[in-house]
Amino acid sequence: MKLLEKLWRALDERYDLQPLLAFAKEKSVPCHRHDWMYYFGGLTLFFFAVQVATGILLLLYYRPTAEAAFESVQFMMTRVPFGWLIRSIHSWSANLMIASAFVHMFTVFFSGAYVKPRELTWWTGAALLLLALGFGFSGYLLPWNELAFFATRVGTDMVSKVPFVGHWLLKVLRGGEDVTGATLTRFFGIHVAVLPMITTFLIVLHLAFIQRQGIHVPEGEKPVRTRPFFPNFVLREAMVWLVGLALLAALAAFFPWELGKKADPFAPAPAGIKPEWYFLFMFETLKLLPAKVAGIEGEILGLAAFTVGGLFWFLAPLWDKRRARGARNPWALAVGWVVLLYIASFTVLSYLGVFK
Amino acid sequence: MKWMPAASLFLLALPALAAPPSPAVGPPGKPAQDTCTECHQALDDPRLQHPATLAADDIHHRQGITCAGCHGGDPTAEDPQQAMDPKKGFVGKIPAQRIPEVCGSCHSDASFMLRYAPNIPTDQLAQYRTSKHGLGLAKGDTRVATCASCHGAHGVLPASDARSPVYPTRIVETCERCHGNKALMANYRISGQEVADYKQSVHYNALTVKNDLSAPTCNDCHGSHGATPPGVASVSNVCGNCHLTQREAFDLSPHKDAFAALEQPACEACHGNHKVLPPQDSWIGVGEGQVCGSCHSASDQGAQVAAALFGALDGTVKRLEAAHARVEQLEARGMLMDEAAVQLEEAHQALVLARNEVHTANRARVEAQTSQAQQALAKAEGLAKAAEEELRFRHNGLKISLAVILVAVVALALKIREIESRSQ
Amino acid sequence: MAEERKVSRKTFVNWLLGTSLGATVAAALYPVFRYVLPPEVAEAPTNRVLAGKLSELPPNSGKIFRFGAKPGILVRTPAGEVRAFSGICTHLNCTVQYRSDFQHIWCACHNGHYDLQGKNIQGPPPRPLEAFKVDIVGDDIYVTRGA
Repeated sequence: MKLLEKLWRALDERYDLQPLLAFAKEKSVPCHRHDWMYYFGGLTLFFFAVQVATGILLLLYYRPTAEAAFESVQFMMTRVPFGWLIRSIHSWSANLMIASAFVHMFTVFFSGAYVKPRELTWWTGAALLLLALGFGFSGYLLPWNELAFFATRVGTDMVSKVPFVGHWLLKVLRGGEDVTGATLTRFFGIHVAVLPMITTFLIVLHLAFIQRQGIHVPEGEKPVRTRPFFPNFVLREAMVWLVGLALLAALAAFFPWELGKKADPFAPAPAGIKPEWYFLFMFETLKLLPAKVAGIEGEILGLAAFTVGGLFWFLAPLWDKRRARGARNPWALAVGWVVLLYIASFTVLSYLGVFK
Repeated sequence: MKWMPAASLFLLALPALAAPPSPAVGPPGKPAQDTCTECHQALDDPRLQHPATLAADDIHHRQGITCAGCHGGDPTAEDPQQAMDPKKGFVGKIPAQRIPEVCGSCHSDASFMLRYAPNIPTDQLAQYRTSKHGLGLAKGDTRVATCASCHGAHGVLPASDARSPVYPTRIVETCERCHGNKALMANYRISGQEVADYKQSVHYNALTVKNDLSAPTCNDCHGSHGATPPGVASVSNVCGNCHLTQREAFDLSPHKDAFAALEQPACEACHGNHKVLPPQDSWIGVGEGQVCGSCHSASDQGAQVAAALFGALDGTVKRLEAAHARVEQLEARGMLMDEAAVQLEEAHQALVLARNEVHTANRARVEAQTSQAQQALAKAEGLAKAAEEELRFRHNGLKISLAVILVAVVALALKIREIESRSQ
Repeated sequence: MAEERKVSRKTFVNWLLGTSLGATVAAALYPVFRYVLPPEVAEAPTNRVLAGKLSELPPNSGKIFRFGAKPGILVRTPAGEVRAFSGICTHLNCTVQYRSDFQHIWCACHNGHYDLQGKNIQGPPPRPLEAFKVDIVGDDIYVTRGA
């Protein structure tokens, strides 16, 4: 402890850290019956940190070419000590991060935290969710196995449905007309450089906004007790993170992530190709739409609907004036429930094989 | 007399004025030119026209041998009477009895044939005379095959040409023309079923499906010109030409002398002759559909050996399948099983050698191979066990980590409680 | 007394917290440490292997080596040249061997023979053995297969 005190005093002398310490001591988190939801933002951040760490480790052995990618992952899983663990943790943490992000988003929505003055926090958060989905989509291809290859082909096909720029977008995304080694290299660059850079920037913004504005309390929960951020909330958050870590380790060891067969562009698509669970609700909805509706291709209508719906959700801070005033808004709650139930039910039903 | 020299000159010139005896056989490599082909191509009767249209592809014609080379006559004469003059040797349609001699007049002449190719065989006629076909023909049977029956008479192509009726993949159809005709074959006490049987065999499959030209067809076992079914003594020689390993093994067995004494065919007794199917381990034994039972009864020593042989093979096969499934499962779970795969390969190879040894009918020799296989399998199973243990180790390692984390969570909870009770 | 209990309890909790968190960190760092250290085989041995040593391969001899799980055969011809082929017989996949009496490659299973170019010259094999590229660096013989 003496050493730490000496270190503190040396730094304080040079950088005047007292105001920081005062700020830290002042930070508090509201307490109420729904305060469990406050942990999910940090949990998402924790899973993201795990991704960065395991991702960097994977970079030590991974090779981003069509000839060597699959073999390098196989090498990692069989010959590198604990390679199986690092890889499985990376795959599972991706899923847990996105799940946690969704929970975080819905708790924020239901508690009305997106209203003024926290619009930018909501908007950076929405962008972060999209980035997370982008991470998932680009990372999925990297092992270059059968399932990933065909899922990427179908997924990027969707992009070509965008009017006017669709085909151009497809070529930019795929690095050519079809999914090839060029696509793999491109996705790799996006996954390890482009997305991390943008995400880090947005996370910093997102956290800075929260630090500056404090944490939102849902209407109807005032007056409210608070607890100090240091050490109470931090210790609790640490508990949640440790449980997350335990969950990750258990999943990685008891349900190791499979590798499957190497992608063969000439083979026919295997039966039952479907995207990862976080895209399933969109996938199944698009499949349900008829081929043509009033002369327009069903899929284009579907994508347009998702875009409009997403935009509506995104612009919640602008149309929800009631909650901005501090009043309740049953309409907003209804919208939230509809969206949640739609996504949850379609995802679950897809797994149950109802959409055949 | 003054007119004598002129007259003698004229006399000398007379033969030149008459049609000179032009060669029926021209220089090799230069296609023949003859009036026969020219005239016959213009005829209406298909029977007379057809041979002429085939002349352009015919190997003999292309090598400079005119129609007169076989049929006689004058190949340069425009006038049909002169061209087909019996005094000039014209024969017309060659009777079946004489075909081998006619072909043999060139094909058995070594110095003649050397003009065309350095290593061309010239023993066809001699072989033919020993064959069932040749012997039948000598007795006056004109229904048997002669040279023209298989090679064609006009439009003859070399056997190496894929269009020739005696190209390896086409020989079956050629023989089938007669040997598939049960009514015809009945005259010779041949069943006529042989070709149909052969078409179900592994050899036919290798030839036509796998396109392996080295696979045996009719002439590989029966001979081409000396076509004769192999006699009992020579069956294992015939099969043994290709299946050397099995033949050598058979020669070590008690069956070799026993079969010879009983005048039983060797390989054929268990494997069949035409309908040779992929052999199965389950054939070994004295039961229903098993080959040993044709001679051995359930109580004799042979039956016991057979049971032991089958037991050794079957036990190894079952163990191999189980080990293979286990290794595959581990691979699917992400374990590296290369070494185990190597052991499985060794076991598989020992099993192949064991099946060769079955032909010795010697229990010790077969079991020597199957025990090699069992050893390799034991190693593979050991490696599988090690991989399974590694997986269990990982699970255990994980459970310990979970316990550690759980303790940390509990410690945190205690700390939180302590801090919060202090502040109250 | 109550105070003492509280103090010792606090010390115990602190100790438990420190130890368990430390153990958790160690449990997380140990696999990372082992992972970062390069494994025995530095690369996936898919297409290039060190098949043998020149000094251990006299003329008119052969040696089986492995590409992963698949066998290859390294041959030193009577003239001294080093060649490498797939070791899998094209008949029924047994592993071939070099016979110094025949001075070429042979398969024990059904008496298949291959010449020193890998071509099937006698017996049941229908196809030649695939030839691999050989590179000699000092005493080391490297064999590369595929594209």
